[in-house]
Amino acid sequence: MSARTHRSGPKPPSLTANLLVLAALLVLLALTVGSAFLRLGPGNVAANLGIAGLKAALVLIFYMRLKTDTPLFRIVACVGFAWLAVLIALALADLLTRPA
Amino acid sequence: MSATRPMGATHTAEQFDDPVQQREAATLGMWTFISTEILFFGVLFAGYTLCRVRFAEAFAEGSRHTDLLLGSMETAVLLISSCLVAVSVREVQLGGRRVASWLIAGTALLGCTFLTMHGFEYVSEYHEGLIPFLRYTQTGPHSVPMQMFFCLYYFITGFHSLHVAIGVGVLVIMGRRTHRGDFDQDYHTPLEMTALYWHLVDIVWIFVFPLMYLVGRSG
Repeated sequence: MSARTHRSGPKPPSLTANLLVLAALLVLLALTVGSAFLRLGPGNVAANLGIAGLKAALVLIFYMRLKTDTPLFRIVACVGFAWLAVLIALALADLLTRPA
Repeated sequence: MSATRPMGATHTAEQFDDPVQQREAATLGMWTFISTEILFFGVLFAGYTLCRVRFAEAFAEGSRHTDLLLGSMETAVLLISSCLVAVSVREVQLGGRRVASWLIAGTALLGCTFLTMHGFEYVSEYHEGLIPFLRYTQTGPHSVPMQMFFCLYYFITGFHSLHVAIGVGVLVIMGRRTHRGDFDQDYHTPLEMTALYWHLVDIVWIFVFPLMYLVGRSG
């Protein structure tokens, strides 16, 4: 049996890719701060959370290597967020449907 | 223990077939831990969501009391530190041990910078009288429910800072081990797991920042 070592694992992303992700993250940070000062009503919350989700996705996919690593890790990563979504959705469903 | 074991098998525990299987087991364990951490902070975020729906105005006013400039700089510091630790793992994978240990030291330093900046925030909030049960001097129509915002603020940022502090400690150990030559192309799982933990800390802050610092800024 030929020895499998970490060299046979997923290849690391290039330096350029790492730096591009950082640049994207910093641009998104500037966007989210800028958007907070615009009068968008409920759009402010949507913009803030949308940009935060995008930033988290960039970190998860590239820095945490979910893109290239074993699919099982993608499932486990999604499970945490899925349960959190259930928690917040059901709690809000309760609060928002109560008579005032 | 023999020093002449085949390359790549040196660090493999006996229950594993090979280093790849061992790495996958360790990474799966780390992701499971990360999922529990998501739920740990998730409960606090869920509490935040409910209170914010209930006391929207008070949360907007509370958020306007936070230091946006420091908060933004802290976010940038954490994002840059995440990039550094990701590149350090890459360097070790490519055999660049020296550069990697400097990158890890840089990451730990940025973590300390984050903690210092947050410390300054806490101090100025103390002087402003924004800490419920310790020094809370706010008056006005929203001052009572605004305590809810600040309780959540201190719980969430406090636990996050605790995670940052633990991360800095582990990074220092990993930096020393990398410098000493414990990790190479064939074995670097502890460093990889530390990097995953550090990215988690970054992701938590990515959500803390808009929820604590950016509410009600346009009003």
